[in-house]
Amino acid sequence: MIPQWLYPPLDKTPGESGSVLWMVIFILLIFGGVSAGVVLMNWLERKILAHMQVRIGPMRVGPHGLLQPIADALKLLIKEDIVPDRADKVVYWFAPLCVCMTAFTLFIVVPFGRAHAVTDMNIGLLFMLGASSLGVMGVIMGGWASNSHYSLMGALRSGAQMVSYEIAMGMALLCGVLMTSFNASGSGTLSMIGIVEAQQSQHVWFVFKMFPLGFIAMAVFAVAMVAETNRAPFDLPEAESELVAGFMTEYSGFRWSIFFLAEYASMMAVSSIAVTLWLGGWLRPFPNALSGKLWDAAFASVPGLVFAGLGGLCLWSASRMPKLAQLKLQRLGLDGFGGVLGLAGLVMLIPPVAMQVQDVFWFAAKVAFFMYLYIWYRGTFPRYRFDQLMGVGWKVLLPVSLGILMVTALVGVSGELWTSLGGK
Amino acid sequence: MGIREILKKALMTDFITGLKVTFRSQHPAELVTEQYPLERPSLAERYRGQPRLSVNPDTGETLCTACDLCAMACPEKLIKVVSERDPVTKRKRMISFQYDMSRCMFCGLCVEACNSNCLELSQDYEMALYSREGMVLDRERLEKGQEPAVYAR
Repeated sequence: MIPQWLYPPLDKTPGESGSVLWMVIFILLIFGGVSAGVVLMNWLERKILAHMQVRIGPMRVGPHGLLQPIADALKLLIKEDIVPDRADKVVYWFAPLCVCMTAFTLFIVVPFGRAHAVTDMNIGLLFMLGASSLGVMGVIMGGWASNSHYSLMGALRSGAQMVSYEIAMGMALLCGVLMTSFNASGSGTLSMIGIVEAQQSQHVWFVFKMFPLGFIAMAVFAVAMVAETNRAPFDLPEAESELVAGFMTEYSGFRWSIFFLAEYASMMAVSSIAVTLWLGGWLRPFPNALSGKLWDAAFASVPGLVFAGLGGLCLWSASRMPKLAQLKLQRLGLDGFGGVLGLAGLVMLIPPVAMQVQDVFWFAAKVAFFMYLYIWYRGTFPRYRFDQLMGVGWKVLLPVSLGILMVTALVGVSGELWTSLGGK
Repeated sequence: MGIREILKKALMTDFITGLKVTFRSQHPAELVTEQYPLERPSLAERYRGQPRLSVNPDTGETLCTACDLCAMACPEKLIKVVSERDPVTKRKRMISFQYDMSRCMFCGLCVEACNSNCLELSQDYEMALYSREGMVLDRERLEKGQEPAVYAR
């Protein structure tokens, strides 16, 4: 007889069913997945940014520079670990950990699927906001402990920026939360899973609800989240032309790479808030309009087909590589990688596996869209001046988000009144 | 500020134009990077690189008439032509030709002065060396030209 807690939770999160074993497994899976995502994102960012600037980007380590992130990580690991002479050692040591831990803690409530989250909190969204704000503390600690002017300036900028954009971000989020409470099926919840389920029961992603209100709220959030994660064009805390590297100036080697990991992990976490609130989380496109067995099967086969296609692409590229003796190892590696991807794709085509995998796939695809936006912004927009940045935050985003919140409430309440008075 | 400009700001049209530009430039046809050791760059037709002395392709004899015009035209005085009178044909014959590339500024005046189309500045550009002495080219190296560098990959 197998004990209850050994069964994989297929329809509830492990937090709900209370199986600690599966919680640990999920946490490890998410940690591994996010780290792999950071590695991939590192490569993608360099490639896409290079192509936007009509360059090629990394080409030498592995085919098309595929192994470049691994080479970089190795280099960072074996680099000398320098602590500035008069730095506050303990705080200096703790700062990258603080940033990294907060970034990864956020993923506890991120729902990759109905059953694919570590746990479902009824204050999930609040937890995300609160925990992501803790990252600022790590940044300020790093800047203060380094005992360097550049670091301190960067940290102060980062603090001011994150605090001022937090408000607009919160207002935009409230707008989405308000939308969960409308309609007869409205649940009015802060739980991440509840928000996605509200979108499913209201038959609309919140981007398109009360158009253009939902869209504007998402746009405000999309700007605020770029500022929140200190990315271009709001990367003033690490403005390399003015502050060397801001709060990371005195960090090197492994500590620096932890900051790097945290930056990308928090980018993903913030993107997954946006995906959950406005883009329907793990829901596949048109879950209600195109329902039925056939459509279900068709959409469930997409992840498998995508992976198989990627594997095929790898094999095809390997066959196109020049037949040089020194490229033999690379060709074999690419063949092997393509084979693994193709096999994974074939496994994902098995119906029971497909049903479990597809929600994670759709969620990841939507997050990937936001990650592309991040790179796209970075390739396009020049950096803001600090007073302009504050101006955008306080004079544009905050009034707009407040206005959107009020209008959403008014429209929603009047709609409720209309239906309760018997109108249709 | 007119209503047009307000609308333009609110809809962020300038931002969208910029985004469009960067999105389009991702097309592989837009790439300008040359992967130099792997692929050789295409140079301009009038590029002035490593000096060469041409030989008659049929007989292998030099085209140089040892007229010394190139040496006189050179503003740096870095060309040295040594010649002797051929006792049979009574014509001047070039014995040695020295070209100090380390001082050359590739102005091309020597090429313009050459009336037998012998001296030319070729398209070879891999001229870096480990010693200064190697920069002084003798007749043999000027006629043979330079092997294109081969890299490991």
